[in-house]
Amino acid sequence: MAAFNHFKNMYDVGLKPRLLRMLLKEHLPDDTNPFGNPAGISTVVSMIKTHGLLSESSVEESADQRICLLGVTCQECSSDRFLASYTLWFHKLLPFIQSPADSLFVKVATCASLSDMFTRLGGFPNQKKDGTSHAGKVIQPVLKLLNDDSSEAVSEGAVQLLCTIITCFPSSVHRHYDSAEAAVASKLLSGKCSADMLKKLAHCLALLPKSRGDEDSWSLMIQKILFLLNGHLNDVFQGLEEETKRNEATRLLVPPGKDAPASLGGHTFSGEVSDDSPRRSERLLMSSVSTLMLSCCTMLTSSYPVQVNIPVRSLLVLVERVLAVDGSLPQALLPFMTSMQQELICAELPVLHSCSLELLSAIIKGTRSQLLPHAASIVRLITSYLKRCALPELRIKVYSILRVLLISMGVGVAVCLAQDVINNVYIDLDPISSKVGHSSSIVSSKASSETLLQPGRRKRKHGTDTAYLEEQHDLGGLQVETPKNHSISPISLRVAALEALEALFMVGGALRSACWRSNVDLLLINTARNSLEQGWATEIVEPNESSASWVDFQLAALRALLASFLSSVHVRPPHLAQGLELFRRGKQETGTRLAEFCAHALLALEVLIHPRALPLTDLPPSSCNSFEEVSRKFSENVGSGGVKYGEPFAGGIQGIRNHNPSVEEDDLYESWLENGKETEAPDIIPSKNTRYNEEPPEALGGSDEENRSVDGTPGTRFQEKRGNEPATTSVDVRMRDNNDDIMVDADLLHKSIAQVKEPVSSKSATVPVSNDGSSGAEIVSATVVSGSGVSDHAGNVFASSKDVLAAEGDRSTTVGVHTSATTEMSEKTTGDAFDLDGEDPFPEIFDVEPDSDEGQD
Amino acid sequence: MEVVLASSSLDAGIGCWDLQTGAEQLRYKSCASPPHGLVCVGQRFLASSQLRDPSASSGSILYWSWSKPQVEVKSFPAEGIKPLAANREGTYIVGGGVSGDIFLWEVASGRQLKKWHAHYRAVTCLVFSDDDSLLISGSEDGSVRVWSLFMIFDDIRQKEANHLYEHNFSEHTLRVTDIMTGYGGCNAIIVSASEDRTCKVWSLSKGKLLRNVVFPSIIDAIALDPGEHVFYAGSRDGKIYIAALNAESTSNSNYGLHIIKSVSSHSHNALPLRKFQFRKMVCSAEEPYVLAYSLSNALHNKAVTCLSYCASGNLLISGSEDGIVRVWDAKTHDIVRVFKHAKGPVNNILLVRQDLNSNSWPNSQAPSRRHGSLLPPALEKYANPMDEDADVKVVMSLHSSCTKSMDASYSSSLVINNQIKELQQQGSSGATEMEVERLKLDCRSSMQMVQQWKKMYENLNQFCVNELLDDDQARISNGNSS
Repeated sequence: MAAFNHFKNMYDVGLKPRLLRMLLKEHLPDDTNPFGNPAGISTVVSMIKTHGLLSESSVEESADQRICLLGVTCQECSSDRFLASYTLWFHKLLPFIQSPADSLFVKVATCASLSDMFTRLGGFPNQKKDGTSHAGKVIQPVLKLLNDDSSEAVSEGAVQLLCTIITCFPSSVHRHYDSAEAAVASKLLSGKCSADMLKKLAHCLALLPKSRGDEDSWSLMIQKILFLLNGHLNDVFQGLEEETKRNEATRLLVPPGKDAPASLGGHTFSGEVSDDSPRRSERLLMSSVSTLMLSCCTMLTSSYPVQVNIPVRSLLVLVERVLAVDGSLPQALLPFMTSMQQELICAELPVLHSCSLELLSAIIKGTRSQLLPHAASIVRLITSYLKRCALPELRIKVYSILRVLLISMGVGVAVCLAQDVINNVYIDLDPISSKVGHSSSIVSSKASSETLLQPGRRKRKHGTDTAYLEEQHDLGGLQVETPKNHSISPISLRVAALEALEALFMVGGALRSACWRSNVDLLLINTARNSLEQGWATEIVEPNESSASWVDFQLAALRALLASFLSSVHVRPPHLAQGLELFRRGKQETGTRLAEFCAHALLALEVLIHPRALPLTDLPPSSCNSFEEVSRKFSENVGSGGVKYGEPFAGGIQGIRNHNPSVEEDDLYESWLENGKETEAPDIIPSKNTRYNEEPPEALGGSDEENRSVDGTPGTRFQEKRGNEPATTSVDVRMRDNNDDIMVDADLLHKSIAQVKEPVSSKSATVPVSNDGSSGAEIVSATVVSGSGVSDHAGNVFASSKDVLAAEGDRSTTVGVHTSATTEMSEKTTGDAFDLDGEDPFPEIFDVEPDSDEGQD
Repeated sequence: MEVVLASSSLDAGIGCWDLQTGAEQLRYKSCASPPHGLVCVGQRFLASSQLRDPSASSGSILYWSWSKPQVEVKSFPAEGIKPLAANREGTYIVGGGVSGDIFLWEVASGRQLKKWHAHYRAVTCLVFSDDDSLLISGSEDGSVRVWSLFMIFDDIRQKEANHLYEHNFSEHTLRVTDIMTGYGGCNAIIVSASEDRTCKVWSLSKGKLLRNVVFPSIIDAIALDPGEHVFYAGSRDGKIYIAALNAESTSNSNYGLHIIKSVSSHSHNALPLRKFQFRKMVCSAEEPYVLAYSLSNALHNKAVTCLSYCASGNLLISGSEDGIVRVWDAKTHDIVRVFKHAKGPVNNILLVRQDLNSNSWPNSQAPSRRHGSLLPPALEKYANPMDEDADVKVVMSLHSSCTKSMDASYSSSLVINNQIKELQQQGSSGATEMEVERLKLDCRSSMQMVQQWKKMYENLNQFCVNELLDDDQARISNGNSS
């Protein structure tokens, strides 16, 4: 048993040293076994990480042999140990990157370890000085590594280390700023690096100004990059673009009378390039252009300690310039270009376009709300580009830019972008699912752009009318027969299109949308339905697959559908029922993302169906009180309803007071309640009449009786005033019902004014009865048409005048029947324990109450 | 810390109080603002337009930083500016001129980006919409107009459109006194108050009048309930009326259609009086306005001039002509706090959440050294004609949302794994190097082994030979002996 006494379980600290010792013995190389199993090392690393082995102890003895483990140590060990020993470790590591003799692996490992050490050290603010001095010692060897034509792995490690130092200890790079810039720039422009390496270099170059941290370095750096880019583009696009464009770009960069910025890294590159063969030089130029653009992106989107001046117009002109070139030759410039050159450029253009779209996106992100003065030109740029662009990857990028623009710039831009987004979405979504009749209008608008198309490039999705229709047919056939055999990129393109449409709905779904709304709604419901018709795709987890799958398409379709439902304000979404059905079905797909989203959609749509207008009150007390609460509400309503309590369940005095029967108002509250008790069971018609007969004469006399004043008539003055007011009670009814849709049709409004006005002014005793019926019916139907779903009884016409009071005698007989029914019903309801706010689920109950009040009175 | 700021039309400075504790903070000096003339620009600093001698040819806009009571930056626009507004991020300031022009400046550079003729008479209020993409202006001529900032900057589209505004609401007959917009982007509502004693509710998406509420008195200030159940209207009779938006309104309330009730008048000992008033007003069915009026007179009530709603505590904050700022509990309608600003009338109230850490430019530990001030430069008087050759620079502070960037990630374990993979594949030069070394070592150990074997062999050989020899000798000697 003694053997098992060393530790209790896997969480015991006592396990750690034993494990470590075991690892050291079995997996780490030592003198007897200098080349252990390499897989064993990864076991060591993973064990160290999972068990936190180094949180208490250190494996210094192994550091010499496996430098990387020291890096892991830096990452994992306790703060105290780190602070105590990092200097020692640093001095052990330093020789490895200085000496040229060591093997590649050792160098790479040393760079990684040092980088980890500085990262950790950067987390201790009080070690700033020490860290800076240490980092300063590393810079020169690192730059040397970069400058040497060593293997890519080493320079990658060196760049990584440099980036870490710039981020964590910027001031240490300060002295070596120029040489660092030169080293990175020459490496970047050498044309000998892989794409991955170029990305790292671009990133490093963009970070470099941080080491100085002032406005000028940043501006100078971006100016240098832009200038270099401009020069490259001049070379690349020679013969492909108008002279004016390049002059404009140059003029913006170097205003007349000013000197051009010093070249990047202090070299002249143009000479080197021209020596090479044309093929190589073109490719080299292209790759540096995209790398430099990436640098700009990084500069725009990463943080900087002080404010900077972003040369927005230069950047935009650059983007515009690249996107304008599609490889076609302007007539005037034909002779200056060989067909081989053109071929070369056309092959590389998509990459350039992609990079400049990235740059555009970075500009939008970087300038945030200050983009506004340039927004119009950007919108024009991308909408015209979208008309020409045919490659799915590029279209996806444009859609994502559109999405960002829409969300960041709000309604204003949505109004202008709507038509373009929709036209393009129609092109990219399955055209067959929309009605062909609609698409023709788009095609005609597109036809003009056809002249811009470059001959011999990829097949267009849009072109002449016939071509488009053919294409449409092809696509449709493909869709029906082999829906799952779509190549991946069209799906991701559709997802992007749907996402852009969703953003449009989110931002500008209501404003001036009437013209396109119904067609797009139809397109969306069809798309969603089609996407789901193939069965609910099973989610196959494919970690390597970066592009969209069918599930993503389904999700995007459903999301866009939800957005369209929720953003519809003027009318009820025409396909709401089908949509709900889709969401319900989707929810049953247990355990999938679809089911999650469908559940969310159903929740969101619930509010659309039961709109709420919640007053500012505390939550009702616990459910045991609900009966009391409801009955009190009810009684109050009856009691304080007064002569003509127009709106049932008023949120005003009653609404607020109900829930806050604060102490000092108790007497008032009780007085209401007393009144309420009198009329709490108004099931016998005569009794109501008696009550009515008791009180109104005083009210009519206009005296200040308490009862009457509880919610008394405003009297004649008020009535006059109402004549001027366009809004009426019936308007209220709708406003209350439709939380989302507080707007009232003017037509409806005027109609009801007319209806209300008439009886009041005519002073006829019989009118209120008929009015009650007719206007109520009118409005109820109107509400149904408009899709509010809840038909509040609109019988509560203003009965504020004496005429109505006079009419009451006639009315009471008819209305009384109503009343008794209601009372029963509401009593039933109060029996049910509904502890929610209780207002919305039962509007009908309270709807009838005014009648009862009127009946009583 | 949430603070209440109040300014007055008299030169009484800007009062500043902590809403939670009630403690008075710094008082910013020399400010005589017109209504709607005080704004907080992106939580960073205060800006206020100034009432000027009407004969003065230029207007005046002042900046205060949070930390200093003195005016730090003075700008003199081309004409008198009354209302000011800034977008949420604080990148633009718009000002409404007395001529009906609206000016738009970029804060960071002070450049005047746009100026357009918006109204026939002086602009009285300016509000940004919820998403900052629309600007809503009200004027003395009674019109309320909605402008899309995107359109304002799009010269080409402007030429195509026959008017610059998105909506023009002209139903108010007199001066517009206040405008508020609600939640919901393009579905938002706009509430406007006017001297014609009405408040009107407009639909932004339809561009139509939704509701007209007639008040007993002129409304000078509006505040919206964040849930848009009701809105609060501060009136010249000293009352704050509560009017229905989504709420069901009692059609026969004392005050008129849609007006649910009025909370109190401004009074010093509010609590008991309020109850009294409430009941009195409830009793005043016959002539509500008269009674209310007399009540206000009896209590020396002055007009409510500004309102603000504090969402975090559901508080309604009102400023009055008697120079007092009152904080109400929006649920119970009790006064919870009273701040005394000055003898003069309060005409602006701002509610600002002061983040002690970021009350300067975000991310700037080192203050901009040039002016010794954190504030941006003064606003330009005239727009510079766009220089075609010069690049437009946008002054930005770049800050990434996530503080921990990708560079801060640790790489050793990644490198180790990569190296191991390489070793296992044995493809790369590094791996080859290792391999060679290992082979060398193998070779060396094999050589050693060979040596050892050799030695052993020799030993064995020696041993055997010796044995044999010994044996022979022994045998010989044995033979000899035997």
